[in-house]
Amino acid sequence: MKLTLQTRDAVSLQIDAAPGQSVLAAAEAAGLYPPAMCRDGQCGQCAAHVRAGSYEMGPHSAAALPAGPGGVLLCRCLPTADLVVALPYDDAQLPRQSVPVRAAVVEALHPCGAAAVSLVLRLVPDAASGQAADFLPGQYMELRLPGGTVSRAYSLANLPNWDGELEFLIRLVPGGAFSGWLATTAKPGDRLELRGPLGHFTLDEASPRPRWMVGGGCGFAPLLSMLRQMASFQDPTPVKLIYGVNRAAEAVPEALLAELRADLPQLETILAVWQPEPGCTAFQGSSAEALAVALKTAATPPDLYVCGPPKMLDAVLAVARAAGLPPAQIFAERL
Amino acid sequence: MFCFQCEQTARQDGQAGCASAKGVCGKDETTADLQDLLIYQLKGLGELSSRLHRRGTPDQDADSFILYALFTTLTNVNFDRTVFVKLIAEAARRRDGLRGALEAAGEPLTGLSAAAHFAPAADLAGLLAQANIASVRAGLELVGEDVIGLRALLLYGLKGVAAYAHHAEVLGEQRAEIYAGIAHALDVLAHDPADIGLLLDEALALGQLNLTVMEALDAANTGSFGQPTPTRVRTSPVAGKAILVSGHDLRDLHNILEATQGTGINIYTHGEMLPAHGYPKLHAYPHLAGNYGGAWQNQQQEFSDFPGPIVMTSNCLIEPRPAYRNRIFTAGPVGWPGLRHIQHDDYAQVIQAAQAMPGFADTAPKTSILVGFAREAVLGAAQTVIDAVKAGAIKHFFLIGGCDGAAPGRNYYTDFADHAPDDTVLLTLGCGKYRFNSHEFGNIGPLPRLLDVGQCNDTYSAIQIASALAEAFACEVNDLPLTLVVSWFEQKAAAVLLTLLALGLRNLRLGPSLPAFLTPALLNVLVEKFGVQPITTAEADIAAALARAA
Ligand SMILES: Cc1cc2nc3c(=O)[nH]c(=O)nc-3n(C[C@H](O)[C@H](O)[C@H](O)COP(=O)(O)OP(=O)(O)OC[C@H]3O[C@@H](n4cnc5c(N)ncnc54)[C@H](O)[C@@H]3O)c2cc1C
Ligand code: SF4
Ligand code: SF4
Ligand code: FES
Repeated sequence: MKLTLQTRDAVSLQIDAAPGQSVLAAAEAAGLYPPAMCRDGQCGQCAAHVRAGSYEMGPHSAAALPAGPGGVLLCRCLPTADLVVALPYDDAQLPRQSVPVRAAVVEALHPCGAAAVSLVLRLVPDAASGQAADFLPGQYMELRLPGGTVSRAYSLANLPNWDGELEFLIRLVPGGAFSGWLATTAKPGDRLELRGPLGHFTLDEASPRPRWMVGGGCGFAPLLSMLRQMASFQDPTPVKLIYGVNRAAEAVPEALLAELRADLPQLETILAVWQPEPGCTAFQGSSAEALAVALKTAATPPDLYVCGPPKMLDAVLAVARAAGLPPAQIFAERL
Repeated sequence: MFCFQCEQTARQDGQAGCASAKGVCGKDETTADLQDLLIYQLKGLGELSSRLHRRGTPDQDADSFILYALFTTLTNVNFDRTVFVKLIAEAARRRDGLRGALEAAGEPLTGLSAAAHFAPAADLAGLLAQANIASVRAGLELVGEDVIGLRALLLYGLKGVAAYAHHAEVLGEQRAEIYAGIAHALDVLAHDPADIGLLLDEALALGQLNLTVMEALDAANTGSFGQPTPTRVRTSPVAGKAILVSGHDLRDLHNILEATQGTGINIYTHGEMLPAHGYPKLHAYPHLAGNYGGAWQNQQQEFSDFPGPIVMTSNCLIEPRPAYRNRIFTAGPVGWPGLRHIQHDDYAQVIQAAQAMPGFADTAPKTSILVGFAREAVLGAAQTVIDAVKAGAIKHFFLIGGCDGAAPGRNYYTDFADHAPDDTVLLTLGCGKYRFNSHEFGNIGPLPRLLDVGQCNDTYSAIQIASALAEAFACEVNDLPLTLVVSWFEQKAAAVLLTLLALGLRNLRLGPSLPAFLTPALLNVLVEKFGVQPITTAEADIAAALARAA
């Protein structure tokens, strides 16, 4: 269904709504964030008026409903046909998930484990965002090669900061366009264009459940950012990291994990090595297999955060489903 | 979870109270349960503290902790479960400390409540399993709705009193009688009283205590920052880097002004921080640039737009949007999972954020509003006011005060201000004023018709003004041509309401809805015994008020 949101200053915004989706949810899916508080038809914060079209109102409090014909609460308004909705504020006052396009220069580039590099960029200050590296741990950026058309997504591994610093862990894919540039051409001072932050793979910080994080290869990057966030907040939530690599030598340096454990004493790490060398003391097998073993003895069903290449992700999700983990507790990012 | 402490509590199918996984305010079940447990702990702690007060050997640290911990449980203050897990453990530790002190002093520890003996579990899962005993409705089958409602009134009023007392305390006003009174009220609650008469008396005593607390806060504010004077406040931005300060804590604002001196960063007030501009010692900072935005319920839009960091010093915080999650900082009792909290008055990160953010590119055309009509300023013009009343130029005073909120019914207050006749004076306080404080009300002689008295706690100032007028006219406050039009939202308003009742002030309209924790029988007591009237329509209520005075 097509929804038209009309702001008070007569700006029309077209968005799509899926059947059963509230106008609020449809707007948010489109990157528009109308004010909302309870999401439950109770507070009146998301009040608006339908000007045309048909809809149903889900359960709500009559006291929260705005006066006048077509008065609705966006969180409870389910369109049953195309809808025109008047919002009681101006276009400029409608918060957006803005996706800025910014420039950055390569600050540092060095190997990180046997198959990957650590890339540090410094944002160039601009009028819209200043110097802020503003993102949520778990999100990613799209990096565009200098002058080129090649654009690739990479998860941020560091924490949001005010110095414009962005850190990535990138696996060098043989024959890859971006990988090739990193391996042969890139040097400090090179300028890239980037778009972001993007993505919804972020921590559910309100959840009281233990957090289990499963990362395959460079799927570790966003999990590293989340773990650093927990460490910097001294978040006491129990947390376990299952980190899968092909060969032990491909893992990030142990010092990095030791640093995390020092700031996050409750962190348990399980390294899963797919092709172990003789004498390897790590878990021998895939991260999915390591997860299956761990879930057998889990005291409570944890929140699961999974990030990695498609095959690894599918294997992990299959294990989670087989263990009966509720879908609402599974957060996944496919590299 | 179950919570019904604020005005916006869920009211669906005739059933009042937030009773699902998340409250209307965004508080989740875990946090709500932990808040209940914390309150339960504080009752036990207060009981022991009360004994120490009676012995004349109070524990200042424990008393300060009680204020702070109560404050975290007000509506729109703290949503961070990890904070509550820590506070619960700290409450137990402090309680054991007080018990040790009493034992050492040879006091027999008999007759203590169950709350004073309570042993909280060590981890989150264990705590949540214990939460049932601490629910606000525990014991309902035994004592009935009326008693539960009165206990809630006492508890919620107490939360408001503690919040005001905390604001006063951080500015150096620490009075034994206040701590003793708060500990006493907790002591009363710890024993689950079921006597309606006793509960009503305690509620009124608490209202009286709150007058002392508001007086102490007034002394703290004016002692620290001078007597408010009428001041024009810029409401449009000026070019440059910017920090927005919201909430009610003037001390935090002052510290931020100090920390940012000479950095070129401009400071803007938001919401209930607006009255700060009237205080000479705050106004004196040239980089206190103006006021930005309106009342709390608009913050998701206003904070998204603001081109710099935001500091939330007290209520009212609601769910931060991704657009400003990294640049909103909490201070004092405030918290939200994943937001940075200011510790030890260290604003370095906020300043860094302000410098990294673009700030305002342009200076907008100047718009302004007038604030600073606290008691001194109004009483300074007392003779003008008295003469105007005697000459018939002022027919009536309306105090339109209290909180704002998102509910559509709050339009009543806008209508009330706009429809009040030209020969009436409007006094206002609290964040409800944003509904009309940019409207043009004109003057009566030299006196502006709209007088902004200050924050919600400046009700003390308003009471002083009313008392002085009554004295000038040699009458009772209730005989003045004065109507109080109160909009309530959270628990400080409950404390203020108890004060107004304790003072015997009648001619009071309360809205937009009446507290959900009061049963019809209790509401009837408010109406019959205390003359509290629910709001109807602005036009009808104005007419009724003027008819009474005529
Ligand atoms: C949301 C998101 C986040 C991401 N975050 C990261 C990250 O943090 N770190 C990181 O290293 N990568 C990450 N990626 C993957 C990244 O975007 C690129 O796909 C990857 O770096 C390969 O790009 P390339 O230009 O070097 O290779 P391409 O030129 O795109 O591909 C060259 C060849 O390699 C194959 N290939 C592509 N990707 C892979 C792979 N992962 N494994 C094996 N073969 C492959 C292709 O099919 C092709 O045949 C992420 C992807 C997504 C969608
Ligand atoms: S504080 Fe108010 S909105 Fe929040 S849960 Fe309690 S009653 Fe509901
Ligand atoms: S006056 Fe009440 S509603 Fe308004 S900001 Fe203060 S606490 Fe919140
Ligand atoms: S968000 Fe509260 S009514 Fe819709």
